[in-house]
Amino acid sequence: MDTNLVMEGFKFMALGMGTVFLFLIILIVMMNVMSAVLHKFFPEPQASLEPSVDTKNNKKIIAAISAAISHHRQG
Amino acid sequence: MKFFVIKLLALLLFTFGALHASAPAQAEGASTLKEETYKSRPFSEMITGFLQSTGINALMNPNPNELNSHGHAMSDFHKTWGRVVMILITFLLFWLAIRKGFEPLLLLPIAFGGLLANIPVAGIAGDDGFLGIIYHMGLSNQLFPVLIFMGVGAMTDFGPLLSNPKTALLGGAAQFGIFGTLVGAVALSQYTELFNFTIQQASAISIIGGADGPTSIFIATALAPELLGAIAVASYSYMAMVPIIQPPIMRALTTDAERRIKMTTLRHVSRLEKLVFPILVLVLAILVLPESTPLIGAFMFGNFLKESGVVERLNDTLQNAMINIVTIFLGLAVGSKLAADQFLVPDTLAILALGIIAFSMGTAAGVIMAKIMNLFPGHKINPLIGSAGVSAVPMAARVSNKVGMEYDRNNMLLMHAMGPNVAGVIGSAVAAGVLISLFQ
Repeated sequence: MDTNLVMEGFKFMALGMGTVFLFLIILIVMMNVMSAVLHKFFPEPQASLEPSVDTKNNKKIIAAISAAISHHRQG
Repeated sequence: MKFFVIKLLALLLFTFGALHASAPAQAEGASTLKEETYKSRPFSEMITGFLQSTGINALMNPNPNELNSHGHAMSDFHKTWGRVVMILITFLLFWLAIRKGFEPLLLLPIAFGGLLANIPVAGIAGDDGFLGIIYHMGLSNQLFPVLIFMGVGAMTDFGPLLSNPKTALLGGAAQFGIFGTLVGAVALSQYTELFNFTIQQASAISIIGGADGPTSIFIATALAPELLGAIAVASYSYMAMVPIIQPPIMRALTTDAERRIKMTTLRHVSRLEKLVFPILVLVLAILVLPESTPLIGAFMFGNFLKESGVVERLNDTLQNAMINIVTIFLGLAVGSKLAADQFLVPDTLAILALGIIAFSMGTAAGVIMAKIMNLFPGHKINPLIGSAGVSAVPMAARVSNKVGMEYDRNNMLLMHAMGPNVAGVIGSAVAAGVLISLFQ
């Protein structure tokens, strides 16, 4: 065999791992930029709504559970 | 008026009658021709003829003129005992899939395809057999892996990655399994007599370290189609064995204190971020590595449909109906490569061995990368999530979670591990793109 395959393998490794990391590092930077931009210009309007829905549900659940417990005790 | 309609109907009836009368004359001519080719034989001859066409006879007395699905001659072993051994191997795969629950969704179609491919005489895996047709329909042209990626994209949630972007590096580090094994495989091919893989074959084998079935198949069909069966089987069986292979490596490389590291809770990710993310990745792939865009493009298409929230029907089809149908075809097509003459060769053992090395190296590299990242200031990362950097979504993330909970019952790592897990899918698609671009 003329070419040194092992050297080729190391070249592949350098190029491959380099590309994978380069891609992911750019991706990480872009993700942070994107999040910052989106949070600045398009803040989430629903953020304040969600907890109120939860407590409402919780109240219903608590009411249902306490009703079930009292029913159980009576029975 | 009524009278006219009746007349018209009668006329139509007559014309049809006339046509029918001429038809039997033609049919008679055809049947006499057929009768001429059929010769009456004595009953004893018919019985011996039938016995010669049985499977038992084909397995005992191999037909010297029989060719494999590539049109090459086969050895007698591959026509006889090889087939029996392969059929027994498919029974073993059935057992693993059904009893042990090893990736049954893929292992069962693959194993049954393998069973059908080893039937003598019928030639189901040949070019005209239905397995051969399925193979040419979507596997030899790499269609099925891409379709699978669409479905996987529709199932993937990038939220955990978006809320902690730096964990993507773990998904990158785990790709070291691919390239480390590549070097090892070419070194062993060059300096020892163990096996003799070309650099294309070595690349196709080492992509098993990416722990991503569709990617492995994509690369194998592109670079080494002759090894497809063994590579696909190795890839899917190791993915199924993630809970067995990974934990010992994870424990060996971490200290008790590291395993107990608690990670900060993930921040909320807005819908808009999730919607922009697939486009962002795709644009990056277009700019950096267009060779990876078949896989990444399909992946992001599925994810974009899901996150758009306005095409629930398409999203549902991608996640369920389409991926299920394609999985059946993909499994059968891969199974068709389990024919004895292609699978029962020394290379298969080498592929199975190299595959598990690649897989273990990827796991180790992910864990070590997390330890390296902990040397830098900032929020600490539990190294156990590093192992999830090999793809194998979501099994690898579940393994991280399980091992973490063994040491601290309140340490939920699942969502943290999903970040490197989905980054691993992107990472192995990029690695696949690099490998393909190198052989252009």
